[in-house]
Amino acid sequence: MTELADLLSDPRTWWGARGLVHRAGAHLELALLATAIAMALALPLGIAVGHRRRGGAVVAAVVNVGRSVPTYAVIAILFPITLRARFGDLGFWAGVGGLVLLALPPLFANTYVGMTEVDRSLVESARAMGLRPLQVVRSVELPVALPLVLTGVRTAAVQVMATATLASVFGYNALGSFLLEGLTQQDTAKLVTGAAAVSGLSVLTDAILGVAQRLATPWVPTRRRRFGRSDRAKSAPVVSGSALGPEGNIA
Amino acid sequence: MRRHLMVLLGLLVGLSMVAAACGSDDDDAGGSGASDGADRPAIVVGAQDFGESKVLAEIYAQAFEAEGWDASVQELAGYRDILLGAFESGDVNFSAEYAASLLEYLNGDDKTEATGDVEETVGFLDGYLADNDLVALAAAPGVDTNAFVITRETADELGIESLSDLADKGGDLVLGAPSDCETNAFCLPGLESTYGLDLSANFVSIDDGPSRVSALEAGEIDIAVVFSSDSTIVAKDLVLLEDDQNLLAADNVLPVVSTEIDEAYGSELRDLADKISAKLTTEVLLDLNDQFDNDKRDAADIAKDWLEEEGLVS
Repeated sequence: MTELADLLSDPRTWWGARGLVHRAGAHLELALLATAIAMALALPLGIAVGHRRRGGAVVAAVVNVGRSVPTYAVIAILFPITLRARFGDLGFWAGVGGLVLLALPPLFANTYVGMTEVDRSLVESARAMGLRPLQVVRSVELPVALPLVLTGVRTAAVQVMATATLASVFGYNALGSFLLEGLTQQDTAKLVTGAAAVSGLSVLTDAILGVAQRLATPWVPTRRRRFGRSDRAKSAPVVSGSALGPEGNIA
Repeated sequence: MRRHLMVLLGLLVGLSMVAAACGSDDDDAGGSGASDGADRPAIVVGAQDFGESKVLAEIYAQAFEAEGWDASVQELAGYRDILLGAFESGDVNFSAEYAASLLEYLNGDDKTEATGDVEETVGFLDGYLADNDLVALAAAPGVDTNAFVITRETADELGIESLSDLADKGGDLVLGAPSDCETNAFCLPGLESTYGLDLSANFVSIDDGPSRVSALEAGEIDIAVVFSSDSTIVAKDLVLLEDDQNLLAADNVLPVVSTEIDEAYGSELRDLADKISAKLTTEVLLDLNDQFDNDKRDAADIAKDWLEEEGLVS
């Protein structure tokens, strides 16, 4: 306990290139960029495939490859390739690649299921009223699907936030470095500091996105009731990865 | 849909039962799996997460098995910290370690006791091992210590061949090493105390070994820490900087065994382990690593062939 107090009262723990502030910033940079890229890829895809209500299983199979390959292995494979990148710290782009693959499945699955769960009669009525396909998506399907889409974003963001520590094995100087140093230097205080910082950021991400979700979809009661019709369930072959916990922290 | 769910559920339950069954098997091997006849505990050899440790673990375990003892290898997906934890919990009770590094790991941050002399180093180590209910057997002649390597181009360009040269001309170079380098007596602190070279501001920690070498080749780092018996030094034509001021200490391969196993098997195990260790020279380590890293052979196969070639098993 005194060791932890000593560590936390040392200014080097907080400031400088190996300090908490810089490392937390680097951690956020990596996690946020990876989440943003994954959203830019998975949300349009999920909306498009969900709107057509066709081909979901095929696309899901491709997207889910991201979940079957360990993030550590993806980063290790990408690392030598990304060494040629002219900007970004060592290990950064390899980390981004691994985390994007991790975030794709929950984002795509939730968006796709959200779109296909929109009541068909609602879509038919919108069409009958003369709405063009894009208008149907924007004014009818998306608002109805939004709660699930946002759940996907929240799940993915929290997973990425917790898993971004892996990039530090490949030279990325961020919060994961505290975990590695704690382990290899037998420094429990460092290990605890790093673990607390990472879980703090993950919990904070979850809380912020939870509030954002409630603000964006105020019509959804906090305890949601499902009115699923059994025939509709058939169109949902992809169960989201949201039930899975964040994968493989180094510790 | 419901039927599909049931099938999935059934599969999951089946899988978890298989996993549970595997788990309990391992436990039996790790516990006091009494071999018939002599009621002696099973030997579980711990292998750290790099090729040399895996091959060495296979070598000792296979030789013990050939004696008719109950021996197996437990791969640990980590390094010394995990290995010592596994010793403490009883999950492993034998491992090939490295004398000087183990000593510096066990004796705390604030002092350096290991020297270039293996007898002396093991002498210091014995006390710390006893505190952990461990015993060191005879050290092997083979040494695997930290090695500082640079590319041939850097060496030619800056005229650096030794660590003294590096201290003179390489103060701006970037060092890539595992995370423990910050406190490891044979890494950053040692470079500073022995060579007066402070690289702590240009230090990047890369814990994945192969990635460290790729970063060196790509010029992201200028100096990499590798094992001196690492076959990539030769394969990639890297320059191993000469330790002209004797920073690096006696990191001889050193079999470490729990006192429980040592007492149960006595001189039988010691004699056999010593016979194997005596043949493990640095050249042998380089060759074994070359087979593992470059020929991508299985650790168990490398061990089996070597034991047969050396006539250690029939």
